[in-house]
Amino acid sequence: MTSQEQEISSAVPDLRNLPLDRLKPLGGSVLAHSIALFRQRLKESGLPLSSFQSRI
Amino acid sequence: MITTHRLPQTVFGEFAAGGGDQDAIRYLCEAQQSKHMMLLHAIAEEADGAAIPAYGKAAFWAGYALLTQVQATDPGTGAWLLSLPNLGGWAHDCLVRPEQGLAPDLAHITCFAAAAAVHAGIPFEIDVPVLNERVQLPGLGSLRIAGQSPWITLRSDGEWLTGREDLKVACRDLVPDDGSTGSAPQWYGTPAVRAVADGLTWDVRLETGDLYLDRYTLPMSTNLPAGEIDHWRRRIQSAWEVLVRHHRSAAEPLAASVSVVVPLTAQRDTDLVSATSPAAFGAIATSWPPDSVTMAETLVHEFQHVKLCGLMDMVPLVKTGGDLIYAPWRQDPRPAGGLLQGVYAHLEIARFWHAQRQAEIDPDDILRAQVLFARWRSTIDPSAHALLEAGCLTRHGVRFAEVLQDQGRHLKTVHVPDDAERIAEEVALDHRLTWQLRHVAFAPAEVARLATAYQQGQFFTAEMRPRARIKEDTRKVGSTVRTQLLNMRYLAPVRYRELCAAGVLPLSEADVLLINGKTSAAVQAYRDQIVGSADPLPDAWIGLALALHQLSQSPVRQAFATHLAVMFDMHAYSGGRRDPLDLAGWLT
Repeated sequence: MTSQEQEISSAVPDLRNLPLDRLKPLGGSVLAHSIALFRQRLKESGLPLSSFQSRI
Repeated sequence: MITTHRLPQTVFGEFAAGGGDQDAIRYLCEAQQSKHMMLLHAIAEEADGAAIPAYGKAAFWAGYALLTQVQATDPGTGAWLLSLPNLGGWAHDCLVRPEQGLAPDLAHITCFAAAAAVHAGIPFEIDVPVLNERVQLPGLGSLRIAGQSPWITLRSDGEWLTGREDLKVACRDLVPDDGSTGSAPQWYGTPAVRAVADGLTWDVRLETGDLYLDRYTLPMSTNLPAGEIDHWRRRIQSAWEVLVRHHRSAAEPLAASVSVVVPLTAQRDTDLVSATSPAAFGAIATSWPPDSVTMAETLVHEFQHVKLCGLMDMVPLVKTGGDLIYAPWRQDPRPAGGLLQGVYAHLEIARFWHAQRQAEIDPDDILRAQVLFARWRSTIDPSAHALLEAGCLTRHGVRFAEVLQDQGRHLKTVHVPDDAERIAEEVALDHRLTWQLRHVAFAPAEVARLATAYQQGQFFTAEMRPRARIKEDTRKVGSTVRTQLLNMRYLAPVRYRELCAAGVLPLSEADVLLINGKTSAAVQAYRDQIVGSADPLPDAWIGLALALHQLSQSPVRQAFATHLAVMFDMHAYSGGRRDPLDLAGWLT
C-alpha cells in the first residue's frame, strides 16, 4: 500500500495554522468547494440524534 | 496551498470497529477546529450582504478582528475557542437561518471574541449584545447586566473587566464555577465538574445558559439551583467511576473530546432522553439519569454519536436517498444515515453491558446486563447487513459497515446464559413483529390475489408473495401492557414479581397464559380470539407469534416470525374469523 493509500483525504481543509485574516485573501474558490459540501451536509444533518426511553 | 486533513486507514478502522483511543480522537478534534475556521470564513463571506443590518455587520467585523488578534497573540486560546461546541452551534445556525428566512445572529461573534480575549488575558474593548440582562462569554459563563440597554461596551486591561460604572470584575474570576468558592457578584460561571477516578480526570462544563446549545428535542435545563447543580456533579462523578473502572477504553477518549454536558428537562420524571447534535461536537445532552450506571451507559451511547458525527464531517459514509429501514431500537423506520448512527451506538452499548455483566453484584442487575448484552449484540450484524443491502453507503461507508458487521458476528460468539438469551430473543421478536405490523405495507390488489388463492385452495408458491414496502404507520398498532411486562422481567424484576404475585395485571386471558409460560394454552387462546372476531386484532396476532416462538417444534413458527404482516392483511381481506394457523400452514 502506498503512503497515499494508507491515508484517507478528508473533506475538511486543514486550516489549523492559518490566521482568520488570511482566509479571505485566499479567495473564495479555494474553500468554496469544501464549504459547499458542508452546506449540503448541514441541510441533511442539522437535526440532533436523540434517544428516548420511558422507564418501566 | 491548503491541504485537507488526512485520516490514517488504521485510525478509520479503529473507529469502524466501534473504538478509537485518545490518539485517534485527536484527528477528529483537530478537524473540528478547521471546520469551525471554515464556517467562520463562510459566515464572513456573507456578513456584508444586503440583508444584514448595519449594526450587525459592524459588530461582526469588530468581533472577527478581535478574534484574529487573540489568535495571533495566543494560539492556545485560539485553539480553545475553536474547540467550543458553543461555537459550532452558533456557526451552524448562522449558515442555516438565512435559508429559513431568519436573520443570522452575527453580533454574537463579539461574545466569543470577548471570551477569547479574557481567556488569553489580553487588553481589549468591544461592544457586545445584552440578552435577558446577561452577556454570554461562551466557554466561561455570563455577566449579569442590569438595565434595558441591548448593548454594553466591555473594556479590559488584562486584569480587570469593566463596562459602565457598575461593572468591574477581576479577569481571573471570569472562569467556570467549580463550586469550590463563591462567584464574583456580577459573574455567573458555567458550572464546571472535575470527575476523577483511578488517576483519570474528566473536566466537563454543565451548559445551562448558552442558547446555541439549547438545540435538542427537549429544552435545556436553565436556572438550576445550586443544589441541583451539585446533584449533577455527583451523578457525573459516580458515572465516571463506572466508566473508568469497567469501561476504560471508552473513558479515555471521551475525556479528551467531550467538554460539555447539557442537562435537559424531560416532560416526565420517568423519561430518559439523551441527544447529540452534529453541529456541536463535544457536547452531550441528557435528561436526569436515574442512576450512575444509566448515566455511564448514556455517555457511552452519545459518545458514539459524537465520534461518528466527527468522522462523517471528515469522511462521508452515507449517500442521500434510499428506502427507510428497520432499526431494532426504534419504533419508527429509519433512513440509512440514522440506522448507521444507531448501529454504531449499539455496538458499544452491547460492549458496555458485556462488561457490566462482570461488574454487577446483585442477581437482578446481572440479569439485566445479560439480557441487554444479548439483546443489542444480536442487532449489529443484521442491521449492518441491511445497510449494505440498501446501497446507500459511499465506498468508505461500505468498508465501515463491513467492519461493524464483523464486530457483530464476533459478539454473537460470546456465551450468554439460556434464560437471558431467551428473554432477549422474545423482546426482540415482539419489537420486530410490532414494527412490521405498523410499517410494512402491501398493494391491496396483491393481497387480494393471494387471499383468493388461499380461499380457492391453490398451491402456494414463493412467486405469489406480495412485494413489501415500508410505509410509516400503515396499520394502527398501539403499545401494550404485554410488551411492558416482557421488558419489565429484566429492567424492573422486583416490580415484575410484585405485579405477578398480586395478580392484578390488566392483561387478556391469552396474555396471562403467555406471561405464565402456559404456551400451548396461550396459542389456543390467541387463536380463539382471532377466529372469534371480525375485527383485526394486531395484538392477538403478535401474541400468537410470541407463543408459537416458544414452541420450537411448531411447523408454523417460522411463518409467523417472517410473514406476520401479509397474513394479517390476508385475514382482514377475508373478513376475519378464519384459523390463523391454517393460513400460516398454507404459506409454510
